[in-house]
Amino acid sequence: MLKPYVCVACEKVIVAAPDNVASLIGLFNKIIIAVAPGTEIPKNAVTPKEWAIFTIFDTEPGDELKEYVHFVQILYPDKTQFAEVSKNKIAVELNKRAQISVQVLGFPIGQRGKYTVRVWVEENQQMVVGPIEFTMELEIGKPPEKTP
Amino acid sequence: MPYTCPVCGYPNLPGPPRDYEICPSCGTEFEYHDARRSHIELRQLWAGRDAPWHSIVVAPPVGWNPWMQMIRAGYGGDVPRFVIDLRLQADAIVEMREWKSGAQLHGVPSLAFT
Repeated sequence: MLKPYVCVACEKVIVAAPDNVASLIGLFNKIIIAVAPGTEIPKNAVTPKEWAIFTIFDTEPGDELKEYVHFVQILYPDKTQFAEVSKNKIAVELNKRAQISVQVLGFPIGQRGKYTVRVWVEENQQMVVGPIEFTMELEIGKPPEKTP
Repeated sequence: MPYTCPVCGYPNLPGPPRDYEICPSCGTEFEYHDARRSHIELRQLWAGRDAPWHSIVVAPPVGWNPWMQMIRAGYGGDVPRFVIDLRLQADAIVEMREWKSGAQLHGVPSLAFT
């Protein structure tokens, strides 16, 4: 059975070939945005911003024969779902950890507060790992002051 | 094999974007709407109307977000911009310390296992 080892949000994941050594850049759990004064942000607004959800699982012999599917869901602070659920097969090799990086190309900005990232693994449409949850906070701050 | 709408980026068009195929997401009827307007113009018009789901027959996918759909299709340049500054924070305390044994930490000899 897969065992979660790492599950984090970061700005970028760089994987060095040929050994698949992953480097995580910019682990974060809060986004502070500024908008022009008087701007009303629509509920479904998104800011283009690349980030990733990176997960590592420890494996055990026999896992390489199973078909595991990795799911990621992002929830708004009011617990409604943002965008579609991400669904990817997990490639498992004998005696190797399984690493999966899900790249997200935008960040929802329609609600301030804590967004939830929920990750789980299914086998034969049954949840077998998770859900693993962590939160990320969106704060809407003041625009930066201009320096003379 | 599904096709991608060249106007809004909807990735599940059942047919190629021609022959009066209608995109359920943005409502573009190909070879009709795009006969006189470019795909970019149609996209900007749709985005200007807050990018509503068009079809009343085909339901949008759960959690559907038009802006994410556009960004994923490479049309992020037409997504309305609200943010003028963005900062990421770790909201954490980080301590970079040397590995120390309990004895070093508490100033007492370490216990020997006999």
